[in-house]
Amino acid sequence: MISGIFWPVFVFSAIALFVIGTAYRVLSLSRQPVHLRWELSPIPHVKGRGSYGGSDFEEFEWWKGPRRRSLLAPLAYMAVEIFLLRSVFKNNKRLWPFSLGMHLGVYLIILTAPLYVAVAIILAGGMPSSDTNSLREVTYVLGVTGYLLGISGVLGLLVLRSVVNDLRSFTSASGYFNLAFLGAVFLSGINACLSLPDFTGTVGQYAKDLITLDPTISIPFLLSLHVIISILFLIYLPWTNMSHFIAKYFTYHSVRWNDAPRDAKMDTELRRLMGRPVSWSAGHVQADGDRSWIEIATEKATDEKTP
Amino acid sequence: MKKRLKLTDISREEDSQLTEIVPDDLIPLPAPYDKPGWPADFQQLTADQQQRLVCNLDGFVALGLPRPRNEAEEKKYTELFISGMNKLLSRENNWTFLQPLLLSLDYCARCQTCNDACHVYVASGKNDLYRPTYRSEIFRNLVSRHARRRGKLRGIFGGKNVDLNWSTISRLYELSYRCNLCRRCAQACPMGVDNGLITREIRKLFSQELGWAPQELHEKGTVLQLKVGSPTGMSPDVLRDNVAFLDDDFSTSIGFNVSTPWDKEGADVLLIHSAGDILSFPESPAAFSILCQAAGIDWTLSSEIGGYDGVNYGLFYDDIQLARIAVRHAETARKLNVNKIVMGECGHQHKALMTVADRVLTGDLNIPRESAMTFLEDIVFSGKINFDPSKNDFPVTLHDPCNIVRNLGIVGPQRRILRYLCPQFREMMPHGVDNYCCGGGGGFSVMSGVNFTNWKVNIAGRMKFKQVLEAFSDRPGPEVKKYVCAPCLNCKLQFRDMFSYYRAGEKSGIKCGGLAELIVNAMADIKQAFISWEE
Repeated sequence: MISGIFWPVFVFSAIALFVIGTAYRVLSLSRQPVHLRWELSPIPHVKGRGSYGGSDFEEFEWWKGPRRRSLLAPLAYMAVEIFLLRSVFKNNKRLWPFSLGMHLGVYLIILTAPLYVAVAIILAGGMPSSDTNSLREVTYVLGVTGYLLGISGVLGLLVLRSVVNDLRSFTSASGYFNLAFLGAVFLSGINACLSLPDFTGTVGQYAKDLITLDPTISIPFLLSLHVIISILFLIYLPWTNMSHFIAKYFTYHSVRWNDAPRDAKMDTELRRLMGRPVSWSAGHVQADGDRSWIEIATEKATDEKTP
Repeated sequence: MKKRLKLTDISREEDSQLTEIVPDDLIPLPAPYDKPGWPADFQQLTADQQQRLVCNLDGFVALGLPRPRNEAEEKKYTELFISGMNKLLSRENNWTFLQPLLLSLDYCARCQTCNDACHVYVASGKNDLYRPTYRSEIFRNLVSRHARRRGKLRGIFGGKNVDLNWSTISRLYELSYRCNLCRRCAQACPMGVDNGLITREIRKLFSQELGWAPQELHEKGTVLQLKVGSPTGMSPDVLRDNVAFLDDDFSTSIGFNVSTPWDKEGADVLLIHSAGDILSFPESPAAFSILCQAAGIDWTLSSEIGGYDGVNYGLFYDDIQLARIAVRHAETARKLNVNKIVMGECGHQHKALMTVADRVLTGDLNIPRESAMTFLEDIVFSGKINFDPSKNDFPVTLHDPCNIVRNLGIVGPQRRILRYLCPQFREMMPHGVDNYCCGGGGGFSVMSGVNFTNWKVNIAGRMKFKQVLEAFSDRPGPEVKKYVCAPCLNCKLQFRDMFSYYRAGEKSGIKCGGLAELIVNAMADIKQAFISWEE
């Protein structure tokens, strides 16, 4: 059985790696150069119009009027998209129940984390374990529901991806591995949850020992297994396309919903980008590796034969 | 039974086509277009065409790519394709779309949720080749292996390995012109992955690196436009003659004195039509002239090269050409010192000039740009013109051009006009931002190479034709004249091809036209009918 200082080192290092991986993803996406506008309706933040897909351009002389924006509408839109998988429901009903199950499973398990931290803080404060009973009961229900939903979702998706031609031909080995890995998190979780006599109490105590850096920390094997699988998954997650939870912010806010007019900062960035040399090879581009994008884009055309 | 396609089939070295389109597989159309054996089988490629051209995809040829002369030429293009992928991933060469491209390459969940949103895929009877994900996944695989140089193990672990050879790139080139770039699939994607964008980036790679682009879009499109003024080939003198002729003709036929102003400095509005309208749908520019005149608008057309044709085919395949044309449009408006540019009824002109080029038109090139939809709505509801909606008392439905509606969010103005002026207006289903493309998007409406028109009308446009017929299902016969309002030149060209192919005028009494024509037709002060139902 693993015990002692290994746990805090392992868990906090893993969390740090997850944060670093996530930050790397966020930074690598956010530091991309400003791009040409490529929005796609509906854009829910357009107040009074977003619901049916309308934009500011529906206004006569739109540049003269105020850009009325809703803060709530995009949040509501994304909430339905994230928690109910609206797009999948609308366009892929076969996949939706399993995908929804898997995602709800993940959300519920994530939700149990701060609850366990709350239990840990209460225990670390010297309060008796019985004071956390209600909190642990809620956590237990959320956890069991999450594990079961997650398992059913992952199993369903694995079966669909293995059986249905459309999905099978596009699913790579890593696609199956990612699902199986996530399934292992859920499976080890429900196994520990149902096998240990006081699962939430044990996890609460474990969390308390972690945050107090208790060197005598020790947990049962089944919980160790669940924690190790979950932590390894956490480290792996940002480096896969399962990190679409990060990318989704950018695909929606930086591309689909990005109807921001230019400002001074963007103009500076655009001038910098357009001033850099271009090296496309086709004759009509007339790039030589030295001439800039703006020089090329503003010059007169030349005759060019297509093949 | 249809043969299933694997991703790796794209690189099959033999010269055979990947798939065959069988008429019986296509989604059925309502009567009277549901007769077995009609329309006749697709136009087959001749032996000569098969010998000269690359035709290794689906039995249709849009691009007419000549066969390579030797292996060295094959190798040269393959190497250029690799360097093109690298340039697509570089900030210097592709700042214009780098972030959207990376997001779409890296975060697809391979869930296939987008497939049924694609009218081409569904109309074809769900042929694997036309899945929005098929070309994207192949390109993703090629980028991963050849531009990002990911290890062999990661390549195998991450997906099927598609070989890069002449067959792959020649098929991918042709396949990039089997997508209308309508972005309905992007709308369906829960991640926000945009297969339409990936398709456009593939086209861009071929154009900007290999120098491959459809003749109609490049040599006879953007190059001609920048040189002569318009892909129609109309020079400024010919343009002015044509419009003067139209002014005279319509003045005589409808009894309303039309006079189009030219190059008026300091005008409030510079109206830029698609010049193709002047040749193919002359009632559209004439209707604009009548409305501007009747409403007392201070407006002008430009006869300067770069100022009289609003089309910008660069939007479909090439960022450099896109920027060159957009800059010309804006320079013309700046020279005339107008207050704003108003788009003609042209979807891709709207998208190219109003949004996509917005971040190219810096400084004093940033002249306000208004949609024809809001411009017309303002005229109709200004109270300056009297209307008699009973003159439009025939069934009317509205086609939503993807580039005006889904891509720009201009949904309501045209509907408010039609509800006011057309008593029998009815919507297609679905409509608005959920509309289906007409099948002419992405440049297809002006592309007719080899037997491509056959593909456009039978597959790309099939869903839209079905929608039109269903919208008029209460009055199906030819005795009731029906009007499809398509406020976009490219959509009208596609409808014209489709209606001609299916003989929709003769069998169902359907015609297609723009929005401005319906408005003029309802003007109380014009006694003659403006819309003609003659074929």
